[in-house]
Amino acid sequence: MNIYKPDLMDVLEVNQHTADIKSVKIAFKDKSKQQDFAFRVGQFGIFSAFGYGESTFNICSSSTWKDYAEFCFRRTGKVTEALWRIEPGDTIGFRGPYGNHYPTDEWEGKNLIFIGGGIAMPPIRCAIWYALENREKYGRITIVYGARTVGDLVYRDELDKWAGYKDVKVIRCVDPGGETPDWDGEVGFVPAVLEKASVPADNSVALVIGPPIMIKFSLPVLSKMGLADKDIYTSLENRMKCGVGKCGRCNAGPVYVCKEGPVFNLEQLKRLPEDY
Amino acid sequence: MSAVISQTELRRLVDGWIGQGVQVAGPRQVKPDHVLYALLNESGQLAMDGFVRPANSIKEFVYPRHEKLYGYRLNEKEIELTDVELPAKPQVVLAARPCDAAALPILDPLFNWDFQDDFYNRRRELTTVVTLACNNHDAHCFCTAVGLAPDAERGSDAMLFDLGDGSYEVRCLTDKGRKLFDGKTQSSDKVGQAKAAPKKTIDLEKIRSFINGDFESPYWQELTLRCLGCGSCAFTCPTCHCFDIVDEGNAAGGERVRNWDACQFCLFTKHASGHNPRTAQGQRQRQRVTHKFGIYPDKFGDILCTGCGNCTRNCPVSLGIFPVLDSIQKVETGAVEAA
Repeated sequence: MNIYKPDLMDVLEVNQHTADIKSVKIAFKDKSKQQDFAFRVGQFGIFSAFGYGESTFNICSSSTWKDYAEFCFRRTGKVTEALWRIEPGDTIGFRGPYGNHYPTDEWEGKNLIFIGGGIAMPPIRCAIWYALENREKYGRITIVYGARTVGDLVYRDELDKWAGYKDVKVIRCVDPGGETPDWDGEVGFVPAVLEKASVPADNSVALVIGPPIMIKFSLPVLSKMGLADKDIYTSLENRMKCGVGKCGRCNAGPVYVCKEGPVFNLEQLKRLPEDY
Repeated sequence: MSAVISQTELRRLVDGWIGQGVQVAGPRQVKPDHVLYALLNESGQLAMDGFVRPANSIKEFVYPRHEKLYGYRLNEKEIELTDVELPAKPQVVLAARPCDAAALPILDPLFNWDFQDDFYNRRRELTTVVTLACNNHDAHCFCTAVGLAPDAERGSDAMLFDLGDGSYEVRCLTDKGRKLFDGKTQSSDKVGQAKAAPKKTIDLEKIRSFINGDFESPYWQELTLRCLGCGSCAFTCPTCHCFDIVDEGNAAGGERVRNWDACQFCLFTKHASGHNPRTAQGQRQRQRVTHKFGIYPDKFGDILCTGCGNCTRNCPVSLGIFPVLDSIQKVETGAVEAA
């Protein structure tokens, strides 16, 4: 088998979230493969625009949804520039699922705190939907999501939907200066908003994904809230090419992020050198 | 008793293989004073002595520097993918150095953990490695410091020893090797021996303790300040294996290929966001040394270095693995004052 050869996927739907972020729903051209496709939330795929190359994105749909998989990207380079132009009916390539996943089984019976920044909403969104679809297995859910400006928030419609669920609290924020006159969310940086929100942290796990600077300042807040290192999770975004532990690009200290990651808890992360 | 083949008979054998459609590669003088492992059209091109080792390595015969992974074509709106035919021609790599041959079994687990790379595996199966034990070494060789030797058998299917009288002792080490030389040798009482081994030493424990120590040690930057980031070390290294995957063609059709890449290049780890975990050359050198002497042995059991010295020989600023390791040893023993 050629491990580098992707499956061909039909583009079902394209949604534009911000000036430079779109999400895409795809399904295997081979219907039986779509039926058999199984992954765990937190895993990633390698997506191709033929003629331009491959890019790595989280699979941001819930693993409980069987009709399609979804990914979300920011238009920022050659491949994403090409993906920006795709329309329903087009074909793209997909390899995966790769990497480890969020330990959603271990999280059962716990309260969940999701913290995201900007384009990092998609890799959290899959876990949020997974938890909502298995609502009875999890306790309170708190979602803190921030972006630079109101226009940079992705999956805004879903934020409102989530807020409607029982025992789900959604805190939205934008960086100072990023608010609009009708903005009814918080204004401030994610770590500060998180601290101010005084989220109860008993029997909780946190998943925090965002720009390195946001993660860096959110971690001490979570620790202060009383979360143990083993209960704070993140997903590393190291650059990848092969996704299967060969190309040598995603090393962070002793780990191959594509195989042993991308999901790490803070306890594991503290043992890694700062190479991400 | 030993098995011996004359140089003339060996060359006749090579021409025979080529005639049968076997792809034969070996050291070949491509320019005055410049020997490379290259494909041979006839045995006359084979350079058996008069140099220390070729400037490249034999890895390109199992893992080419540019390799098509599959093709794609756009018909109307439908994309069609076309498979690449895996190589089918048997291949002999002749007069490889032991430090080249040893690299292949070191790389095998990387290309096979969990996901199996058929491109690599197929070429590996088709390839017979005939090594020539070393009779010379230069100031850059350090095979003995990483557990190998001028006559180390690892990775070789057969090994030749220059007897100095126009003939070679042939030691077949695997079935593949025996298949090549069965019935082609004369028995003799002459036994070959590799001449003088390199004397350089590395205290691998010291290297370990340094790379497991301060990740942000200023020494990385200091010891490797003159590195230009050209990647010559990685490209001529028998064990460096990082690659990039890119498309060649346009949206209408083309191929997806993999090309050798190197951790010394500044864009190697750069994220789409602009964030780069390794912005300085010292950090990239740290990765190269740490991967070879820490990460890889921990994961796959072997040091990712065979002591061939190519990284230094081909380095425009005489850096490469050994000089860096040597400096690290001095730092660890306190021979260099703390930065």
